[in-house]
Amino acid sequence: MQELLQQLGIDWRLLLSQAVNFGLLLVILWMLTYKPLLRILKEREAKIKEGLAKAEEAEVHLREAHTLKKEKLKEAETEALALMQQAEARAHTHESKLIEAGKLKEAELIAHAQRLANAEKEKIEQEAKREAVTLVKAALIKTVELDPKTIDDALVAKAVTQVYEGKKS
Amino acid sequence: MTEAITQNADMPPAISETHTESAEGSGIHISIKAEELFHVGGFPVTNGLLLSFIILILASVGALILWKKITLIPGKLQNLAELTLEGILSVMDNILGNRRESERYLPLIATIFFIVLFSNWFGLIPGVGSIVLHGHETAPLFRAPSSDLNFTLALAIIAVVTVNIIGVVAIGVGTHIKKFLNFSSPIGFFTGILEFISEIARIISFSFRLFGNIFAGEVLLTVISFLIPYIIPLPFFFLETFVGFIQAFIFAMLTLVFTGMAVQEHDAH
Repeated sequence: MQELLQQLGIDWRLLLSQAVNFGLLLVILWMLTYKPLLRILKEREAKIKEGLAKAEEAEVHLREAHTLKKEKLKEAETEALALMQQAEARAHTHESKLIEAGKLKEAELIAHAQRLANAEKEKIEQEAKREAVTLVKAALIKTVELDPKTIDDALVAKAVTQVYEGKKS
Repeated sequence: MTEAITQNADMPPAISETHTESAEGSGIHISIKAEELFHVGGFPVTNGLLLSFIILILASVGALILWKKITLIPGKLQNLAELTLEGILSVMDNILGNRRESERYLPLIATIFFIVLFSNWFGLIPGVGSIVLHGHETAPLFRAPSSDLNFTLALAIIAVVTVNIIGVVAIGVGTHIKKFLNFSSPIGFFTGILEFISEIARIISFSFRLFGNIFAGEVLLTVISFLIPYIIPLPFFFLETFVGFIQAFIFAMLTLVFTGMAVQEHDAH
C-alpha cells in the first residue's frame, strides 16, 4: 500500500497543503465574491420588485386620475350648462324688468314733458295776455289819444277779453 | 534550487520532453506523480503544488478586483460574475429544489467547480509543462494541479467529508450514523456496510476520474505535439479545454447531487 501511494506520488503533506489551498480559496471567494454578489443580486431584485410595484401603483393612480378628470369635466360641463341656463333665465327676467322700467320711465318722461309743455303754454298764454293788454292798451291809448275822455278803461278790458276769447275759440 | 531553466515551446503541459545526455538523445518525459522542485523547511513543493498556489493567488486577486467593483449597477466584470453565479445557482436549484438551499451550499459547489476548472485549464497554458528546470532532477516548473493525485484526492476527501457533515447537520448525527451502522435487520446491516464502502469508492472515483482524464489528456497532447508539433495538436487543445470544463462540471455536479441526497433524506424523515 505504502509503495502504491509512493508510486502515485501521494504524500500527506502535499495532500494537506492542497486541502488548505482549497480552504483558503473557498474562504476568499466566499467573502469577496459569493457573499457580496448574492447580497447585490437580492438588493437589485428587491429594487426591481419595488420599482414594478410603484409603476403598477402609478398606473392605477393615473387611471384613477383619468377617471376623475373625466368625471370632473362632465360635472363642470353640466354645471356650466346649468349656469348658462340660469343666466339666460335671469337675463330674460332682467330684460323684462328693464323694459317695464323703461316703459314706466317713458310714461313718466312723457307726463313730465306734458306738464312742462302745459306750464310753458300757460306761461306763453299769460305772456300773450300781458302783451295783448299792453298792445290793446297801447292801441287804446293811441285811440284814446284821439278822444281819451270817451273811452273807458273797463270797456277796453272787456273788449280785450272778448277779442282774446274770440281768438281762442 | 535550480541550475537552469529552459523552455520547450512545443511541449504541452505537465509532461515535458527532457533533453537528456542519454544514448537516445531525446525522449518524452512522462511522470505519473508531480515532481518535487524544492523544499521549504523540509516541506516538499512540487510543480503541481506550485501552480496550485499560483492559481490561488490569481483567483484571490481576481476576486479582490471584482469585490472592489461590485455595485448595484453592474459593470462588465460583475455582469460576467453574476451570470456565472446565476447559472450555477439555477443548476443547483434544479437539484436541491429551492434557492435558499442553493445559496447555502453555493460556496462549496462553486469553489469546487472553479478550482477544478482553473486547475484543468491552467495546465493548457503555454509554458506549463514546457518550462523545464534542470537541477539534480529534470522536471517541468509547472504542472496542472488536476494531473497531480494529491490535488484530486484532497478535493475528493473534502467533498465527501463535507457532504457527510452536511448530512449530519441536516438529519442529525444519530440518523446519519444509522445509514452506515444499521442493526435493525441483516439487510439493513449489509446496506450500511455497502453505504460505507460507497463513501470510500466515491473518494476513489472522484479523485481518479479527474486525475485520469486530465493526465491522459496531457499525455495525449504531449505525444501528439512530439510527433507533429504544428497545427495538428490544435484540435486536441480544444478537446482538452472542453474536457477540462466537463470534468470540473462533473466534479461539482456529483458533489451537488450527493449533497442533495444528504439534505433530501432529512425531508424524508
